[in-house]
Amino acid sequence: MNALRQILAVTAIGLRAIPQRLGPSLVVVVGMACVVAVSISILSMSTGFMRTIGSTGRADRAIVLSRNSQYEGASSITRDNVPVIADGPGIRKAADGKPIVSADYMAYVAVTKKSNGLDAYVDVRGMSPGGFALRPEIKLIDGRLFRPATHEVIVGKSAQTAFEGLEVGSKVTLPEGDWTVTGTFESGGSGFESEMLADAETVISGMRANAFNSMTVLLTTPEAFNQFKAALVSNPALAVDVLRENDYLAVQARDLNRFLTIVAYLVGGVMGLGALFGALNTLYSAVSTRSTEIATLRVFGFGAGAILFSILAEALLLSLLGAALGALLAWLAFNGNLHAAGSLVFRLTVTPLLMTQGIVFACALGLLGGLLPALRAARVPVAVALRDS
Amino acid sequence: MKYLPLLWAGLWRKPARTILTLLSIVVAFVLFGILSGIDAGFARTLQASRLDRLFTDSRFGAPMQIAYAEQIARVPGVAVVAPRRGLYGYYQNPKEGVLVIARDERFFSLRPEITITPAHIAALRQTRTGVVVSVYYHNKYGWKVGDKIPLQTQTPRVDGSQVWTFDVVGIVDDTNYPGQAGWFLCNYEYLDEASASGKGTIDRFLVRIKDPERAVQISHQIDHLFANSASPTRTSSEKSTVQSGLQYLGDMQLFTHAVVGAVFFMLLFVTGNTMLQSVRERVPEIAVLKTLGFSDNAVLRLVIAESVLLCLIAASVGLLVAKLAIPLTRPLIQDFVALLQTGWGDSLRGFALALMVAIISSVYPAWRVRQLTIVDALSRH
Repeated sequence: MNALRQILAVTAIGLRAIPQRLGPSLVVVVGMACVVAVSISILSMSTGFMRTIGSTGRADRAIVLSRNSQYEGASSITRDNVPVIADGPGIRKAADGKPIVSADYMAYVAVTKKSNGLDAYVDVRGMSPGGFALRPEIKLIDGRLFRPATHEVIVGKSAQTAFEGLEVGSKVTLPEGDWTVTGTFESGGSGFESEMLADAETVISGMRANAFNSMTVLLTTPEAFNQFKAALVSNPALAVDVLRENDYLAVQARDLNRFLTIVAYLVGGVMGLGALFGALNTLYSAVSTRSTEIATLRVFGFGAGAILFSILAEALLLSLLGAALGALLAWLAFNGNLHAAGSLVFRLTVTPLLMTQGIVFACALGLLGGLLPALRAARVPVAVALRDS
Repeated sequence: MKYLPLLWAGLWRKPARTILTLLSIVVAFVLFGILSGIDAGFARTLQASRLDRLFTDSRFGAPMQIAYAEQIARVPGVAVVAPRRGLYGYYQNPKEGVLVIARDERFFSLRPEITITPAHIAALRQTRTGVVVSVYYHNKYGWKVGDKIPLQTQTPRVDGSQVWTFDVVGIVDDTNYPGQAGWFLCNYEYLDEASASGKGTIDRFLVRIKDPERAVQISHQIDHLFANSASPTRTSSEKSTVQSGLQYLGDMQLFTHAVVGAVFFMLLFVTGNTMLQSVRERVPEIAVLKTLGFSDNAVLRLVIAESVLLCLIAASVGLLVAKLAIPLTRPLIQDFVALLQTGWGDSLRGFALALMVAIISSVYPAWRVRQLTIVDALSRH
């Protein structure tokens, strides 16, 4: 108890003197703020990206691609294959007894990014009429649905926000003239919000194509997947790969996510090292300017441990302050910002977990930077320090 | 120059502080070096892409007819049109695709960066299934002249198989990205005759124009030709295509600039604080200098020079470390930034940044020193 009171007393003395050491203390605060703000903002990119991907994929949906095609655009499912796949075991049936499936055809339109005026593409997903039962998360929030056999599309909220000319009522250029945007939909923040949706047959005939790209089915349970997959893969009439939707999307997202994570840790680590040297510098100089004061405290009977912990506490508090500032700054500046990587639009996401991680990292750096100066302070030789002043 | 020993002594007055400050700055410049390497890689890609080379692609992905080539060639200002058709396949590993480009002889005049020789062209002409591959594939898969390369594709042949076999007749390189660009160039006739569908179709026309200034105008003219056809086109210069392509990662440049900005801000505090502490401790010494006849402005310059010396030393070390570290980081992120590199231009920018940090952060300490009067400074101690 006594030791604790000593630590508190010495720490309070040190903290009260901070205004006189404002410059050096600011170095720690600013350093930590920069490290935390930069790391969090980079990680907010991969967090937002993975959250969008994660909310798109479901374990009870399976996607069927032609064998060895790595992504939807490279895959081709012929018309003959569609009823065979829809007949597979384990597919959930709608009230009318039909299997809940959608054969999709992917087209794209060229658009202009609002943020920088550069070209980009938005995917146009032609869905079967069963597509909405398959993806109940898609909800119209404005306008009306597209009608089959007319040149109409609905557009996802994210795509509408990020790109020019996708408002309800505007025209987009697809084959056979202009297609009208008839409505806006949201899908709980999932990847579909970056797309446009239309009727598959209408898009296919417009594109003069004769095959679909992929087929997605709703399973009765997530466990039905193995049975469904086994039946399709062993069917000699088909040459397809079957993946759980969430697994498929995780693979698609893996590379970009890995890249962003590596960059965040690389940049955060290097900046952290710089901030660590800054903290060491500050605390060493604090200890050296306070050596007389520390020696005096020792004469009064304060223990070496109390001195040591008080320096550590000062380091910790300064780092905490800086880190909190940095986290707040990153949150204010980036949270919720729209970001488009390729055609996927997502929101940068600064989660409380991310902010906590950043703050813990900075505090660990601060403690590390405070340790050596604290040890030196604890070992200040009383007689020498008092005589030299 | 003759003050260098004086500056040097000032710097090492408190070695621990100087070393820690140096290390902070070094670390910041390592980061700066690597980030500008990424930036430079992007810039280089952009720079290598040409304004006088247009790509005419299908607007909606439906294949175009080879006959478009004649119509495009008649547009005023167009010099050469080279049609090509792509074929996606893979060699052994389905996860690593190979893009086969089926082209005719006009292709090479549009791609002067490919080191093709008349002998290669003659060999391609003689061997229907011939292909020239780039050094990149030679290194990756060990392909040599004379090898037969079977590629698994999704494109059926007339005989029903989806395996396409090619004979390597030459190894070429790409002068823009030596050893880093994957080229797999075969004869258009072979793909056209042997594939079961899509006869006479093209998925990209490369168009060279005489005057790069007219790129936008000519692009519009080309697209106008096919606006009402079965497959409308979308033409843009290579430069703007590449620019949009680099957006895949989002706005990288904004990101690197933001990080560099944060680092710069941090450095101002680190260096500024060190200089401030350093001159505060040296008030009597500076008074002595003034007594010896150094003018107010001379001591101001001395303080700034000391800061500049500190920052330049640290920046040199940091940029050097970055140069050495870049080859190490390459495998981590090469899928995305294939062209991470450093040029001397970046080092120069680094030094300019160091100079800026040094001057801005030492102005206030130097000003305080300048304002010191000898009597005050000496009597304080």
